[in-house]
Amino acid sequence: MAASVDLHKISRFANIAIPLLAVIFFFGGHFIHFYIHFLTVVFIILTVINIFYLHIQKKHTILRNFGILGQARYMLESIGPEMRQYLFASDTEERPFNRVERSEIYRKSKGIDSASSFGSQMDFDNSEVKIRHSMYPVDKQDIKPFSLTFGEERGVKETYTITKPYLISAMSYGALGKNAIQALARGARLAGIPMNTGEGGIPKYHMEEGGELVFQIGTAKFGVRNDDSSLNQEKLIKLCTDPSIKMIEIKLSQGAKPGKGGLLPKEKITEEISKLRGVPQGEDVISPAHHIECTSKQTTVAFIKHVQDTVDIPVGIKLCMGKTSEFRDMVKEMKNQQVYPDFIAIDGAEGGTGAAPKAFMDGYGMPLYASLFAANQILTEQGVRDKLKLLASGKLINSSKQFVALALGADAIYNARGFMLSLGCIQAMLCGNNTCPVGITTHDPALQKGLIVEQKAQRIANYVKGLEYDFYEMLAASGIRDAKDLNIEQLYIPNDTALADQITTLLSTTK
Amino acid sequence: MKTQHIISWILQLVIIAVLIPSAYMKLTGAPDSVSIFTQLGMEPYGRYIIGFLEASACLLLVTPNSAAHGSLLTICIMLGAALAHLTKIGFNSSSCFSCLVILIISAIVTYLRRMQIKSIARMLN
Repeated sequence: MAASVDLHKISRFANIAIPLLAVIFFFGGHFIHFYIHFLTVVFIILTVINIFYLHIQKKHTILRNFGILGQARYMLESIGPEMRQYLFASDTEERPFNRVERSEIYRKSKGIDSASSFGSQMDFDNSEVKIRHSMYPVDKQDIKPFSLTFGEERGVKETYTITKPYLISAMSYGALGKNAIQALARGARLAGIPMNTGEGGIPKYHMEEGGELVFQIGTAKFGVRNDDSSLNQEKLIKLCTDPSIKMIEIKLSQGAKPGKGGLLPKEKITEEISKLRGVPQGEDVISPAHHIECTSKQTTVAFIKHVQDTVDIPVGIKLCMGKTSEFRDMVKEMKNQQVYPDFIAIDGAEGGTGAAPKAFMDGYGMPLYASLFAANQILTEQGVRDKLKLLASGKLINSSKQFVALALGADAIYNARGFMLSLGCIQAMLCGNNTCPVGITTHDPALQKGLIVEQKAQRIANYVKGLEYDFYEMLAASGIRDAKDLNIEQLYIPNDTALADQITTLLSTTK
Repeated sequence: MKTQHIISWILQLVIIAVLIPSAYMKLTGAPDSVSIFTQLGMEPYGRYIIGFLEASACLLLVTPNSAAHGSLLTICIMLGAALAHLTKIGFNSSSCFSCLVILIISAIVTYLRRMQIKSIARMLN
């Protein structure tokens, strides 16, 4: 540290030099030419500001110790994140998505070839799950077209079939602005995939575009609630008469803040929000940490049954895995009551467009690959894997990550942030601030102006097309003729991954 | 907060009421302005520069998000004027008095609008 610049010395020099220069320029202005007083004025102002920094304000230590030069710190710090992203961060070091991952999505969305040259930029020889190809790839035309029917096991009246292994994950009107929702919903319709409405109440803007929707029931049951956050059957039945609602998803927990509820502050409850969500204006609304009906495994399974009896469409659940033993107990209880959700969506342990406390975002929940493996393993071990479909969500934005999830047991892929990126998200990480620079997670009309629905809907469709193309190419390379035959044998799993660790623990405890 | 807002707007209008005729006289070359700037040895470019700065300050003062920038600029102009009176012109004219009043009013506006400029806000707690 001896060779470093002595900032304290420099700033002390500046603190003396500034008033001194003011005096020098004063005499210059007086004796040489009046124009020099332009500088005198500037330095008088700087001197006054510096006196305030050094002796009057008490809040900022840096300014009190170093004076006006300390300002440089604040200025540099304020432009730091942008500078790092634009200039200094390498292509593979940003979180949650690095530039390599993001640009793949951008290229797919714009319909540009996403082939890359001269090798992988990932840490290829280390700790990443890789896919094993076959020595005998199959022809693409020999692969069975993907098809997945929800509700067939239970024999519901209106089963729902998807022909692409993708669903747009839960994003509500509220978290996202109107334009973004319209672009997503229209894009989903163009691409022929369903979209989850999120827990934002009656999905008015989602429904306007005429696509296929999965209606999410959050713990506050916005849109279908009684005042005590319990389920209002009549409202749910009425909502499901809309032909665009194809499935119901009961959200037990979410990856961004598993085990935690939320609060909708009264300032955010506009007349429109109040109407869509079915909450009164002028008071805060609490989202409980759990469904009021679900306090144990028995009541949780009973609640699933209750919703399934209420509607004629498939009903599934979404959860972020915490304790695998609890999940196993719940599956046993399902067997006991002979009630199975039509699908279980496993959410990874982070993410989400809303704001979650840092401790929950960073510290809670099992990562996706490990929990997906655990869910699939427990369902298989209990002999009920064929009673339901398994969905995976959590950072599955590109083809290879999605393929890994499918090989780990998922039947289809939920994906939210990939679609946000294809809407033009630049990962500014301001989702909770209403200042999203690309108009996605904001309600500010000036910022939403730049998001042209027609344009971006096409990007969504292009993105799905690109993903689907890769999906069949990868099946062919793996020598697999039907996506249902995908299994963990297709994967190369290094020992030091969370996934490998989970495999070892789970297999050793069950035997 | 609201009363501060109203007070600040009134003071801004006072500053503008003084600056507009002053800028107009300088830019059109009124005999009084010409004689002052001749005394300072800045005729004619100094007169144009100061006139232009005064007009800019007026524009900033009527822009809601830049009132602090406008009042800061006014402070600079008035400090310059004070130097002129102090060293060259003398204290006897009425413009000397109005210059000091505007200087104080601009300082008050800058204080009231200090949240618009972070480096100014940090001067006080």
